[in-house]
Amino acid sequence: MSGDGRPSRKGRASRQRLLRRFRVFRLVRSSKGPEPDGPGENEAVRRRLGVGFWLAVVWLVVMAFIALFAPMLPFADPTKVGYSGPREPPSAGAWFGTDALGRDVFSRTMHGARISLAVGGFAIVFGMVVGGALGILAGYFRGRLDQAVGFTFFVLLSFPALVLAILITATLERSLLVVSLTIGILAVAPVGLLARASTLVYAEREFVAAARVLGARNGRIIVRELLPNVVIPMGALTLLGMAVAVVAEGSLAFLGLSVAGDEAISWGKMIVDGAGLRDLQNATHVAMFPVAVMFVTVLALNFAGDRIRQYFDVKELAF
Amino acid sequence: MARFFIRRLVLLVAVLFAVTFLGFSAMNFLGDPLFNVVGLMAELDCEAIEAGSAEDPSLDRARSDCETVAEARATYHLDRPVPVRYLLWVGDMFTGDFGTSFQNDQPVAEIIREKLPETLILLIMAQIVSLGVAIPWGVVAAYRANRAFDRGSTVASFGLLSIPNFALGVVLLYLLSLRWQIFPSAYESDSVVGLVFSMVLPAATLGLPLAASYQRLLRTDLITTLQEDFVHMARAKGLPPMRIMFRHALRPSLFSVVTVFGVSTGAMIGGSLVVEQIFGIPGIGREIVTAVVRDDFPVVLAIVMLVACTFVIINFVVDLFYSWLDPRVRAR
Repeated sequence: MSGDGRPSRKGRASRQRLLRRFRVFRLVRSSKGPEPDGPGENEAVRRRLGVGFWLAVVWLVVMAFIALFAPMLPFADPTKVGYSGPREPPSAGAWFGTDALGRDVFSRTMHGARISLAVGGFAIVFGMVVGGALGILAGYFRGRLDQAVGFTFFVLLSFPALVLAILITATLERSLLVVSLTIGILAVAPVGLLARASTLVYAEREFVAAARVLGARNGRIIVRELLPNVVIPMGALTLLGMAVAVVAEGSLAFLGLSVAGDEAISWGKMIVDGAGLRDLQNATHVAMFPVAVMFVTVLALNFAGDRIRQYFDVKELAF
Repeated sequence: MARFFIRRLVLLVAVLFAVTFLGFSAMNFLGDPLFNVVGLMAELDCEAIEAGSAEDPSLDRARSDCETVAEARATYHLDRPVPVRYLLWVGDMFTGDFGTSFQNDQPVAEIIREKLPETLILLIMAQIVSLGVAIPWGVVAAYRANRAFDRGSTVASFGLLSIPNFALGVVLLYLLSLRWQIFPSAYESDSVVGLVFSMVLPAATLGLPLAASYQRLLRTDLITTLQEDFVHMARAKGLPPMRIMFRHALRPSLFSVVTVFGVSTGAMIGGSLVVEQIFGIPGIGREIVTAVVRDDFPVVLAIVMLVACTFVIINFVVDLFYSWLDPRVRAR
């Protein structure tokens, strides 16, 4: 931000003195000026991940561990009806209380992490593989292919995300695979645009020209020269993308359009179960505990993801 | 400008075609369209039934079912190939015929006309809430950049952007209408005041996260603008700070907000599906969810098309508006 078109150091200092004499330093505080990208985007902070990042990572690791091993951990049976009375407040036996059917809310919340994180993780990996491949090919070969891929991305982005998801889940059986694929398709266009943009930059660089002069074929250039460079910005945005995917799955589940069946416990479904006016009034815990756990998880994904994005100095992306 | 406009217009038509075709074929390839129309009857082996003995009375029922199936095939043009069906369907749409609901034989156009106003009111109120919150918030944050308020507001906007909107809706519903009973918890349409009042919470649910992202964009742009020479000039002339802020600095800082306005409308349309569900607003969002659950495909398809086409056109208009604001865009 500084540098171009600004007065020299000496000129800046004298101007500052002048400004200060006119008491304008409140509006234009220093010659350096505040960082426009938000507090903490400057170099020193960018290169340090900070305590908050590690707190977020710890939370995510714990949630991932619980999601992976939930059936083996000593939780109550999440589908057992009448575990104790209905709508019991939190107690030592059931930490988050019980829901309208007397099911253990704590156990259900922990099991709910399974679908949310599985769908989120699968979706972003799918988006990176398909979108990344299309983006790199489009950015490298340009021409007709680029136009076709660009148009496809444009069309995909022309549907509001949730509406596209509804269109797909409306017609197919709502299994874990279908829901994951649906949200994966949503991730293809944004990730692909990012991959294309970084490929365009790197394809112009000297090392690609050097490889070509040495006789490397297109395939080798893409895999050995471009891919490692394009994967870094894509990877840096993985966690942010996963946050979006987790919220998308939650929204679908909230509408009753995510993975079907009683066995499939999901945060969105739990929240809608507890969001009836009567439950909300008399048994607030049924909705609020899943809300809190989901909020902290999405916050942790966003926070850790944003720190990683700054660390690798990747521009923000509008998902 | 004219060439730019024509290029954009061609792209608009191509995208509208692709969007409608994609939606239509999703409905026709992902599911069996005949099954969607007549249900289990679609699985009848009609040729075998026709070939069966004419006197066999046990086949009478099956024969009448077969007639229903044949009738459905004719009404929905299922005997024609998909591209032809697509053209027929688009032609119908242009004449305002969106098909009829499977559920109650009501024309879909009528359903949409009934439900659309509620959703539009919700979306407009949400944009008012988000801009009404974001502009003062962004101005104060930029005015006192990196001070306590700004740092606090960065944390707050981060939090707001991390709450899924259905979770925010449930929390707002609980706190403001059940616990403190400030706003009604149910939709009211008796009077205009009641309607607007009951839409405040849904609009806030949609608008607050949007306000957070607008605020961040506005703050960044304002900080840059405030370092421009014309702002120094205005200061030197002795104009009051607030006048400089609103009359000089705000307008050139709104570019980013205008840019994301189109994209954010799409996010809001998606969000309105959820919010209408929470607050019981009888809009098109609630209608589409009900229709999906009941496999009422004409309604689903019509609403998806309506929403997607609106979204495409909004982005087209924003694009033109933006290129008018900033001529550099046209060069691309």
